Formats: sequence, C-alpha cells, structure tokens
Amino acid sequence: MDYGIEQRDLEAVVRLRGRLTFNDHARLRGLIGEMVQNRAPRQVLDLSSLEFVDSAGIGMLLIAREEMTNNGKELVLRAATGQVKRVLTVAQIGKIVTIED
Amino acid sequence: MAFDGAAPATPVSTGTEDGANGKIAVTTDLLSTWLGFADVQRRTLDVVQTELTRTSRHVEDATVDLSDRFRLLAAKALEQSERVEQIVALAGSVSIDGERVPMDQLVVGMQDMITDMVTNIVTLSRHAMSMVYLLDDVQKDVAELEKSIGDIDTINRQTNFLALNAAIEAQRAGDAGRTFAVVAQEVRNLSRSTAALADRMRGKVTAVVKGVRNGHDILRQIANTDMSPQMLAKERVDKTMDSLVEQTAHFQSVLETAADVSSDMSSTIAHVITGMQFQDLTKQRIEAINDSLAIMSAGLNELETRIRAQVPAGVGTSEPQEWLNQLLDRFTLSEMRERFVRKLLLEGTALDENGVLDVDAGAGDSSGGDIELF
Repeated sequence: MDYGIEQRDLEAVVRLRGRLTFNDHARLRGLIGEMVQNRAPRQVLDLSSLEFVDSAGIGMLLIAREEMTNNGKELVLRAATGQVKRVLTVAQIGKIVTIED
Repeated sequence: MAFDGAAPATPVSTGTEDGANGKIAVTTDLLSTWLGFADVQRRTLDVVQTELTRTSRHVEDATVDLSDRFRLLAAKALEQSERVEQIVALAGSVSIDGERVPMDQLVVGMQDMITDMVTNIVTLSRHAMSMVYLLDDVQKDVAELEKSIGDIDTINRQTNFLALNAAIEAQRAGDAGRTFAVVAQEVRNLSRSTAALADRMRGKVTAVVKGVRNGHDILRQIANTDMSPQMLAKERVDKTMDSLVEQTAHFQSVLETAADVSSDMSSTIAHVITGMQFQDLTKQRIEAINDSLAIMSAGLNELETRIRAQVPAGVGTSEPQEWLNQLLDRFTLSEMRERFVRKLLLEGTALDENGVLDVDAGAGDSSGGDIELF
C-alpha cells in the first residue's frame, strides 16, 4: 500500500493505493500520525484506488478513526469499490465511521 | 275404417258395400299386407320393450358402478387434500430440538448470528492491531532499557577506574591519604555492587525482551490471519437464506393451490354423484314407455286375433319386406340386430321351443354386450 495526501480547505484527502494488509501496519501508523498533525478537521481516506483490505486493515481503519476522534477530527471513508466496499458493508463499518460514495 | 280407393279386385266378403251391416269390401292383398305388418309390428314392439328394459338395466348397472368409482375418487381426493394440508402446515417450519421454528424466524436468527460473528471479527482485529502497536512501542522501550544497562556498565567501569586511581594516589600520600584510601576502597566496592546489579538487570531485561518478542511474533501471526473471506461469507449466507425463504414460500403457495384443487375435485365429484341420479328418472320414463308399448302391443294383438278370426282360411300373411329392411337398417348394433332377427324369424318355431330366443342366447359369442362403435 502507498498513499498521497492532498490538502484542501477544510479537509485533507488521503488517497490509498494497492492493498491494505497487516504488512502495512507500520506505514499506516505513520500516516495516522501525519493525519493527527494535519490541521484540517476532516480527514478523508479516498479508497477508490484501494484494491483489497484484510481484517487487520479494517482494524487499522478503526484505530485511525479512534485517533481522529481523540484529536477532535472526523474520519471519512470515501469511494470504496469492489472487495473493499463489500467488506466495509458486511462489517457494518458505516455504523462507526462516516462512509461516503 | 274407411277405404275410398278403387273397387276391390278380389272381394273377400259376399258382395258390395253394405253400410247397414257395417261391412265393407277389402282386397285380400291389403288384408295380407295388414296382417304381415301387424305381425312384424307386434314382434318389433316386443323387441323394443326388451331392448328398452335391457338399456335401462344397463344404464342402472353402469350408473351404480360409476357412482361407486366416483365415491372412491372423492374419498381419495379428500385424503390427498388432507395430506397436502399437512405438508403445507409443515413446509414453512423446521424442527429444532423437538420444537417447530418458522423458517423466516430461523433465517433471521442465523443472519443475526453471522452478523455477531462478523462484528466479533472486526472487534478482535481492532484489538489485535492495538496490541501490535502497543508491543511495537514496548519493544522500542525495552531496547532503550538494554542500552541504558550498557550505559550503566560504562559509567561503572569509569567509576571503578577512578576509584583505582584514587587508591593509588592515597597510597602515595602516605598517612595523610590513609582515610582517603578507605573511601576509594568503598567506592570500588560500590562499583562492584553496581556491576553485579547491572548484570542481574541485564539478565531480567533479556528475559523480558525475549518474552515480548515471542508475544509480538505470535500476535503478528494472529493479526496477519486474514478473516475478510469469513466476513464476506456473510454475503453468500444471506443470499442462500433469502433464496431458502423464497423457495419455501413458493412451495407453500404451490401446495396450497394443490390442496385447494384436491378439495375442489372432491366437491365436484360429489356433484357428479348427485348428477348420477338422472338414472332414476330415466328408469321411470323407460318403464312408463314400456307400459305404453305393452298396452299398444296387447291392443294390436287383440285386433289381430279378431281380424284373423274373420278372415277366410285361404288368406295368408304377406311379409312387409320393405319395412323389415328399413327396420333392420336402424339396428346398427350387431348384437341388437341379431336379437331382433331371432325374434322375427324364430318366434313360434321349433327352435323357439328349445329356448333359442332366451334374451342372452347368442350374445356371448364374442363381444358380450360391449357397445360397437361405428
């Protein structure tokens, strides 16, 4: 998995690419740190280019959400497709995290 | 009876018309024809009566037989309807531990169970990742600790070195340095104790580091076990359950229709059996017709006898061939035609005496009374 951050007025959009699995845990922790530091109150993870997420990845996304909440920010998961969208739906992540199409 | 035709060619009576005696002249030919016709008519009436009686009995037997069969059919239709209703009652539910659970309730229960399972997987994954991050940090801290113990060793070596130098300097100072030599020795003792403590700490820290690394590895293996396929299995299970519910509903509706049809069949058959009562009426009508025919036949017979008594012995009976042919043409059933022919030709002969004209004689040769179509 790799990512790119795009800074906008009220939100920072982080575009995740490739596969988000357990092996990315250190990198994702770094990203969470960057997002906490970022001044935008709304942190958007753009998942349109993410092809796959495993159960550890789901766990990490929930940790990211918790970290954002602890720092007074909102986490948004945007434009998930394919397997990522199906897993998010089945796991009912929408009940915990804001999901946008 | 009045004849206004041409004058008789061969007078039977004594002479011309005599209105006063009530006598008229009739030709021998006409009388022969009439006698022949009367004979055929009487026999035909007999045959018709017999045939009507046979037909009535035939219809009665067939009706009784049909009614019995229809009753059987109605009973079976009712039985089938009850069985189908039993299936309908059971189709929408399954038995679990001896208790009937409606299919839709069961499906909702299973789906809830799987939803809980998926939620648990998500919670476990989240906790596992939190632990992984926590142990990542602990590992860093422990590494720091190892480094710190190393630092203590360095400091201790320097302390020991300084104490040794101090002892040497105290020796050189002689009596003035004696007290200082004691202090330097104490510092060396302290340094040794510190070194021993650092050693013990290193041993313990090494054990902790090993434990933490093992735990970290195990936790990484756990967190690295991808459960997303199991989560996605919910999609398949949901579809299967929906399909199961739909199929069960379909079966139930088909079976309900089948139960209704069976029930309809049963009541229709009951109507058919009621409809069979037409036979009673038919029988009564045929009996009435037969009674009329018997009266006509008796009248004809009497008339024939009276006329024959007045006819001279020389006058014979003329067979009405054309009528006979017309009559025979009507009897298209061979068995019936056979009975008619026997009656016409054999009655009053020696064969008749021997019982050839018994109703069923000659009928058993082949078809045994089956209806001949075309």
